[in-house]
Amino acid sequence: MVQAGTSNKGQSAIAAVLRYGSVFSAVVMGFGVLLAFVSGRKAPTTSHVSPAQLMIKVLQLDPMGIAELGIFLLLLTPVLRVAVAAVGFGIERDRKYVLISLGVLSVLLASIAFSLR
Amino acid sequence: MTLTWLHLVGLFCLGAVAGCTGSLTGVGGGLIITPILTLALGVPIHQAIATSLCCVIATSSGAAARYIEQHLVDIRLGMTLELATTLGAVGGSVVAGLLSREALAVLFAAIAFYAGSTMVRRAFIQEPAEINTPGSYQVKRLPLGLIGSGGAGMISGMLGVGGGVIKVPLMYLVMGVPFKTATATSNFMIGVTAAASAFIYYARGDVRPEVTAPAAIGVFVGASLGAHLLRRTPSRWLIMAFSAIVFYFAVSLAWRALGGGFSG
Repeated sequence: MVQAGTSNKGQSAIAAVLRYGSVFSAVVMGFGVLLAFVSGRKAPTTSHVSPAQLMIKVLQLDPMGIAELGIFLLLLTPVLRVAVAAVGFGIERDRKYVLISLGVLSVLLASIAFSLR
Repeated sequence: MTLTWLHLVGLFCLGAVAGCTGSLTGVGGGLIITPILTLALGVPIHQAIATSLCCVIATSSGAAARYIEQHLVDIRLGMTLELATTLGAVGGSVVAGLLSREALAVLFAAIAFYAGSTMVRRAFIQEPAEINTPGSYQVKRLPLGLIGSGGAGMISGMLGVGGGVIKVPLMYLVMGVPFKTATATSNFMIGVTAAASAFIYYARGDVRPEVTAPAAIGVFVGASLGAHLLRRTPSRWLIMAFSAIVFYFAVSLAWRALGGGFSG
């Protein structure tokens, strides 16, 4: 197995997903935490709500709902990175690594599906 | 836990210190986040591990982006080994849910002790000179590498650490990957591995936004600070100081678990 790097384009796409995904999630988390102070609301003690409930909390500008959305975006960043890599391997017509990426992606999606039960 | 200024500042500082030392010493902040949250802030260890996993993703994403741009990451090898680390991580997080707080604390202390001694050893051994440039090597013993990666993923998912202390020697010594590439590729794999298990913790309600968000923001700030602060190998005393902290918390965590256990 000779290890060649992916194309430069593919590499910079993966790096961009990691960089901007994490910065974006940090901004959303920061907004939630700051809002918690500005509004003076106490942190609720419940977490793990359905995506629909979470979106309602976010739209109501619930501070911890927004922070939780930020955390979810943080967790989704690596998942998106795997998906982008799969597309990159597809463009390079590297079937073996498309399959490997899809394998990793399916473990992640199964884990997400479990968390949204 | 209600959100007070003190909590927020404390969690942010904890994250910043973990992120900064993580990027300076190359060992993720997971080793200090879990014990400090558990011992100093009274956060239940399962929630502390979930927080640590999120912080580990925060550290990994930024560092991995830099490593990829420097062409140090073997993306194909990383993706292949991630098949094993993600499965191991899911298994580890399920096992963690079944273990008592005390058992988890003792296991954590053991792995922190091992990671700490690896750091001390590495501080006194010259980093191997590289003849190989990335791309010119053959990956050896892939099946063994996959098994080891599965184990590393399991430990990561169970204890909320990155698992670099296992993956780097595995790739470098067993699989014949150059040291720098092994370090960068290990870092690249950490985010995906931690995410696979973090969703399981999330499902159990162990990811607490009021704890995780301030700590993770601190990690971002600390990690980028660390990356800009120092571009050379960290000094020996810094590594020694950091490993002393790791040892101290490993011992206190084990002491607490074996002594009275955790209340509540």
